[in-house]
Amino acid sequence: MIFSDFGMDTASLAGALELKLAAVRRAGFSQVMIAASDVVGHPSGVDAGVRAVRESGLRVTGLEMLRDFEGLDGRLHAYKVDVAKSMLEVCGWLGGRRLLVEASTSTHAEADADAIARDLRMLALLAIPLGIRIAYKGMSWSRTAKDFSAAGEIVFRANCPNLGLAIDAFDVLASGVALDDLDAIDPEQIFLVQLSDYMWQDVRSTEEQTATATHFRVFPGEGAHSEGLADFITRLDAIGYCGDYSFDVYNDDYLQMPPEKVAARAQRAAEWLGETVLRRALPIPNMERLRPAAPG
Amino acid sequence: MTNALDREAVAASHNPLGFDGIEYIEFATSKPQALGGVLERMGFRLIAHHRSREVELYRQGRMNIIVNAQAADVPRTVQPTERPVLSAFAVRVRDADAAFRRAQELGAWEIPVRARAMELNIPAIHGVGESLIYFVDRHDEFSIYDVDFRTIPGVDPHPPSLGGMHFFGIVQYVGADRTADWVEFYAQIFGFAPLPDSVRFGILPKGLLLQSPCRTFYLQLIEPEEPARYAPAEEHLQRVGFGTPDVLATVGILKSRGVEFLASERVHASDRGALTTASLGSVMFELVHDVPAPSAPPR
Repeated sequence: MIFSDFGMDTASLAGALELKLAAVRRAGFSQVMIAASDVVGHPSGVDAGVRAVRESGLRVTGLEMLRDFEGLDGRLHAYKVDVAKSMLEVCGWLGGRRLLVEASTSTHAEADADAIARDLRMLALLAIPLGIRIAYKGMSWSRTAKDFSAAGEIVFRANCPNLGLAIDAFDVLASGVALDDLDAIDPEQIFLVQLSDYMWQDVRSTEEQTATATHFRVFPGEGAHSEGLADFITRLDAIGYCGDYSFDVYNDDYLQMPPEKVAARAQRAAEWLGETVLRRALPIPNMERLRPAAPG
Repeated sequence: MTNALDREAVAASHNPLGFDGIEYIEFATSKPQALGGVLERMGFRLIAHHRSREVELYRQGRMNIIVNAQAADVPRTVQPTERPVLSAFAVRVRDADAAFRRAQELGAWEIPVRARAMELNIPAIHGVGESLIYFVDRHDEFSIYDVDFRTIPGVDPHPPSLGGMHFFGIVQYVGADRTADWVEFYAQIFGFAPLPDSVRFGILPKGLLLQSPCRTFYLQLIEPEEPARYAPAEEHLQRVGFGTPDVLATVGILKSRGVEFLASERVHASDRGALTTASLGSVMFELVHDVPAPSAPPR
């Protein structure tokens, strides 16, 4: 098992940024997804937040989360471009190589495919001088891309080398997107895969799905969909995905537990995935270059 | 009618900005005189000082080089150090403001005006690393240097070029697997087009070549060698290439002026090109066999 393929997310953990990073590291992880608010909200300022991340020795999987970016006009568009530039700069300071972008849920966003592609293309071009890739994630309650398949079509239309997909297992499990759709995706276009499970067997409404996604996720192996999750990952492996897996577990209960305890759960999840699901062989040395470089 | 429109559309998509060569290239250094010495050996003459900043203008033929020793006052721009750094290049376009606005709409980062070496309102965007790219227009009608610079009395403001040297290209080092990103950047914003691998200039057959839409200027993108692929990516403009119709004759002229050229088994002067040794720790120039089109003869 390649433990280093898996990473935690600072949004899963309570406490100060330094304590979160230490917990992640102590649980054996070598990479971490950074929630922007953890850095810019550092009590000693952004610089201290950036320093904490860089000195943690952890590789930055990426920065999250740019929301409601695409499909806007005029002043709203200009405002979101400013927000995006600020996030790209923070990502650059951290030595991060990916910015995670969620498909827009804004009622102001138009659903015209060309406009959405043009905006994402602009975002990708902004990211090029900073060496950052844009991972665009479809969500079932988005207005612009409801699943990875729709997001994939937009990414294809925008056609920019540093624009690709983030695929969230939760969205696949909860929306019942056909796994066969993965076969149509170029594995090189998948920049990030996020993993989580949840406790209920079924989510009925969009409202329930949104609430579950933002409050009640659990780590892989802890929820009710281990089988579905295993199928999903096996399928990704089969199409040739060999990038990072990040645990995007947002759970209100975990935010009331010591970060070490939560990180230990993440460690068990990574072990469960590696040993039970993936049984990955050692990578071929030349495949290493497909992985993002270590932070500078 | 339709055909004429089509042709116009093709011409516009080929050169959307009216790109017309390089107006100047800028170095940043805290030791401007040391770099000046290197430039003078290469045939450049100091012709003007900036009116208010520690910035100098060197020239030969149609080539202008700005040496900037002014401390930078915005992030992500070059802070002058003893080791000179290639800090900017200026592209000539039909309408600088229009080109600048278009670049921003496409996703370029603009630079606040006060950060630049020039006082004229020359719009600029961030390029690779800490470098900038300026947009200059009206280069035919008047000289942008007249406003910012005071010519040194008694100095010929238009010194001839040695061996017909002219700006040919810039070599840019990029991170591992980053070539496609930079191709996209230069293609989108400026209309550069990648050349097939079979087209090669000079003596270093590495990297990917991008041709400017005016077909007189090239960018060469070079990724790190295999063992260095895991090192943190330091992306920057590495060196300037000068075109010359007779490389070996120009090498002869420059050697007589004290310029040294690499003469190893792998890299040595030939009629295709030559590479100088590094001066001041980082400054090297490349000569490339190139005969400019008759429409733009070197002065």
